[in-house]
Amino acid sequence: MSHFILKRIFSALVGLLGVISLVFFLIHMIPGDPIDVMLGESALAADRESLRQGLGLHLPLYEQWWNYLTALVQADFGHSLFSGRPIVDLLLERIPITLHLSIVALAIAIIIALPLGLLAATRQHSIYDYGSMGFALFGMSIPNFWMGPLLILVGALWLGWFPVSGREGWNAVILPALTLGTAMAAILARMIRSSLLEILGEAFLRTARAKGLSSIHATIIHALPNALLPVLTLLGLQLGGLLGGAVITETVFAWPGLGLLMIEAIQQRDYPVVQAAVLCISMTYIVVNLLTDLLYAWLDPRINWQNPS
Amino acid sequence: MMRFWFPLGILLTWGIMAIGSHILPLTPNTIDLTHILIGPNQSSWLGFDELGRSIADRLITGASTSFFVALSVVALGILIGGILGIASGYFSGWVDQIFVRIVDIMLAFPGLLLAIALAGALGPGIENVILALVIVGWVGYARLARGQVLALKHADHVIAAQAMGASPWRIMSKHLLPLITAPLIIEASFGIAGAIIAEAGLSFLGLGVQPPEASWGSMIRDGTRYMLVAPHLVLIPGLTLMAVVLAANLFGDWLRDWLDVKDQKLMK
Amino acid sequence: MIIWSFLLLISFTWSCAEAPSESTIRVGLAIAPTNLDPRLATDAPSARVNRLLYARLVDFAENATPIPALATWETIDPTHYRFHLIEPRPRFPDGTLLSAKDVQETYASVLDPNTASPHRGLFKNISRIRTPTESIIDFYLLHPDPLFPSYLVIGILPANLIAMKHPFHEDPVGSGPFLFEQRPDASRLILKRRHDSQLIEFVAVPDPTVRSLKLLAGEVHLLQNDLPPELVAYLAKNPSISLQHKQGSKFSYIGFNHEDPVVGQSLVRKAIAHAINREQIIQYALGGRARLAQALFPPNHWVGASQLQGYDYDPPRARELLRQAGFTAERSPTLIYKTSTDPFRLRLATIVQEQLQQVGIHLSIQSHDWGTFYGDIKAGNFQMYSLAWVGLKTPDIFRHAFHSESVPPLGVNRGRYADPLADTLIARAEGTSGESQQQKIYRSLQVHLLETLPYVPLWYEENVALSSTAIRGYTLRTDGNFDGLFHIQWATASTFQPKIKWQAGS
Repeated sequence: MSHFILKRIFSALVGLLGVISLVFFLIHMIPGDPIDVMLGESALAADRESLRQGLGLHLPLYEQWWNYLTALVQADFGHSLFSGRPIVDLLLERIPITLHLSIVALAIAIIIALPLGLLAATRQHSIYDYGSMGFALFGMSIPNFWMGPLLILVGALWLGWFPVSGREGWNAVILPALTLGTAMAAILARMIRSSLLEILGEAFLRTARAKGLSSIHATIIHALPNALLPVLTLLGLQLGGLLGGAVITETVFAWPGLGLLMIEAIQQRDYPVVQAAVLCISMTYIVVNLLTDLLYAWLDPRINWQNPS
Repeated sequence: MMRFWFPLGILLTWGIMAIGSHILPLTPNTIDLTHILIGPNQSSWLGFDELGRSIADRLITGASTSFFVALSVVALGILIGGILGIASGYFSGWVDQIFVRIVDIMLAFPGLLLAIALAGALGPGIENVILALVIVGWVGYARLARGQVLALKHADHVIAAQAMGASPWRIMSKHLLPLITAPLIIEASFGIAGAIIAEAGLSFLGLGVQPPEASWGSMIRDGTRYMLVAPHLVLIPGLTLMAVVLAANLFGDWLRDWLDVKDQKLMK
Repeated sequence: MIIWSFLLLISFTWSCAEAPSESTIRVGLAIAPTNLDPRLATDAPSARVNRLLYARLVDFAENATPIPALATWETIDPTHYRFHLIEPRPRFPDGTLLSAKDVQETYASVLDPNTASPHRGLFKNISRIRTPTESIIDFYLLHPDPLFPSYLVIGILPANLIAMKHPFHEDPVGSGPFLFEQRPDASRLILKRRHDSQLIEFVAVPDPTVRSLKLLAGEVHLLQNDLPPELVAYLAKNPSISLQHKQGSKFSYIGFNHEDPVVGQSLVRKAIAHAINREQIIQYALGGRARLAQALFPPNHWVGASQLQGYDYDPPRARELLRQAGFTAERSPTLIYKTSTDPFRLRLATIVQEQLQQVGIHLSIQSHDWGTFYGDIKAGNFQMYSLAWVGLKTPDIFRHAFHSESVPPLGVNRGRYADPLADTLIARAEGTSGESQQQKIYRSLQVHLLETLPYVPLWYEENVALSSTAIRGYTLRTDGNFDGLFHIQWATASTFQPKIKWQAGS
């Protein structure tokens, strides 16, 4: 068991190192110079050069990479090139905002997907099945940048239930979360349906039914918890994706989260901020993945500890 | 049967539109500023966009772009992902170890940054949209292929082939590939929907197809800006996109169920 | 499930931003101001907000001549300017009067390389700054420069805090009409008006549709510029929204790479100028809210030239010019046109592309994210691009943009335009004192620029403000600054009912 955990943690760290390095070289490869963005065009050439040296941007790329890694090991994220603020502050400000949106979005996705998946699985090949799967897909097939303004038009302007954008008030999160959540609900609902169908065919459930339990009862009490295992993995992946993938939704709703920070930093060529934002997003992804793997292994005795794939 | 014909009908219409765009005398790029934002009417059944171009013509041309993007992304994704996944699953050992790490990195990496980097390095445009989506997308197929191969590797017929001295290439192509084609194709049908939506997202960020080329994603992007003034601009491509995404997904579902049924029959 | 609902509960309580006070007047922006230190800020949103927070020595009249703000000035000799602070002097938030020392320290810190101020280049001509009294500042220059007073627009910071290396970029301290109140998150900034404690909040909402919806819902009360003309017309139809518009000075243009074998030819540039139907674009794509431009500065600017003869829309002439340049239908030029991903710029690019196609020039449009686009045009990695100049006031821009020695990184001559006559005229204007003499030279320079076309000038965009009828007293300015916020007020304090239902519950 502990060998397995260590192995997984080690491979997670290797993955993280890979992501950091990939981002590092990628962002330096894109044309565009942070010095230009910082100083504008009226700055003196000498100032540019001294700033470049002050920031260590004149060093060969591999040296910059090494410096970045060694600083990172000491938990030093550096400062934003653009605003001069410590990146730790920026992250601490943005992460709760993004997490708030992601968690509510995930909750909405589950609330939509669970009944739809259940309905579809218990009434396979019925009109309910097609209806609920079709409905779930509906949300997925509208791009977020259209879904967002559409929801605002209906929810904020016509109904007046929610604010248009921003984060003021407890209900401000609903519209952006709905935008993200509906897209996810389709994937989740289908996963729930197929994994339920698989379990419903298994032996212990037939036993339960033979013992006289009603079909719905059996489904919910016995099948659902087992069917949720693969769903859990998917949820983990989705949460990771949400943190970084919410860029468009965050832009539409002026929700100042991690995604918005990353896209702004990319445009400003604020290298350390891009790196830190990507690191955060990837780390969440890798950690969540690791945790679901461990949880999965712990919950499901069928998994072979030595060879978890 | 409805489950089969409905999605297939939409997908076929899509294909016909895509092919038709190269045959029909369309003028998707002709700008007439005096027609800006005019809604659907008798002479023009879908109206005009923010530059006075015919939305009907652009919709058909856009079908071709989206078709090309979706098919290329999925085909290249399957090709690369399939080959790497099968090889990694079959050989195991250090090949597999490296492969799993790469997959982990790719999955944890924000695709958006990659798209911007590619657009910056190679210039924006449809080829680079495809490239970016393939780089992000192959991983899914690779994981699937690897998982399937790991499960099938110890099947009797594979072991028998190994015992008879078949080369790894022969085993992979003759004994493993046919068995994992079905799940890959199902995954691909979902991938089509994903690719269209992803192209739309890149277009939203201005990194997709370049003007005057039309794609559904860029039409929706432009249309959303005029949502309050001229809703037909976003509704027409939006509903079209929705129908195709829906159809691709339903088709995938149908395919999976159909193959499942076939499997069960075979086992009996 | 239980874990999820628990997390949900925490996240609700934990990350709700506080609701704005109902008496706050809210202004919607496309881009949030990023840097509230006037020595460091280079972007327009930051500069506009910094004008409210900090007082400065010099301001501009409508025709862009420098006028006294904090101080009047006299030219003691061509390299010595004396500024007298006007009484009553403003106070910093702690109550101390702004003094000559603060002015001196502000400019000294801009000149200090350690500050890394992008504006340092503008002041490199200063040899020393002296303060003979509390209210007199002497600037000594290395070389004569008649434009010098118009550079002194940097907001003045308190000397004591400069010495303490106060982080002005996030905690601004100035003596302007507004005080910094709070920055709840990256997209919001709250200021307090000094004389009546009215709170004004800037809210950044990047999406124009969402910004418009916010105005309609009463969540913001004022929007200025950055909206597509169709949305402006749509919003103006609403009875609870009033529209103001005013001539502007935002100058749009198409730039060329003069080292390119095709657009490096003057004939090709002229053909392009004749092939673009600017009037039609203004009428249809800009909703009529722009006026034709023939030069960097509009005619009402003090060096503006009103007699400039622009390039008419004339496709046959354009084709003829192309033929003279050696291009025929079989050998037609293909040009790469770079632009940002801004939808308005893309729309413009698409129209230009179609119009140039009519005369046989094929444009291939490449839209890049801002960082890449900016990097490319600075590096000369383009054939054509389109951009706009915002907030140009002083004619020193002619040197930065068109002198052959101003190629980036030394200046903003991104097109590598090198023309001996232009260089001579620029140098001559700089060496001349007296407004009318300078005016004459700058005008002949602009005639020459229009003839040689380093840019194809397009138009000056009009400024547009949409305000909720719940507020009154806002006036637009030509330069698009927010000075009107000084007078903005609730229409009637007693009858105003917020339209926003959700505020009651939050």
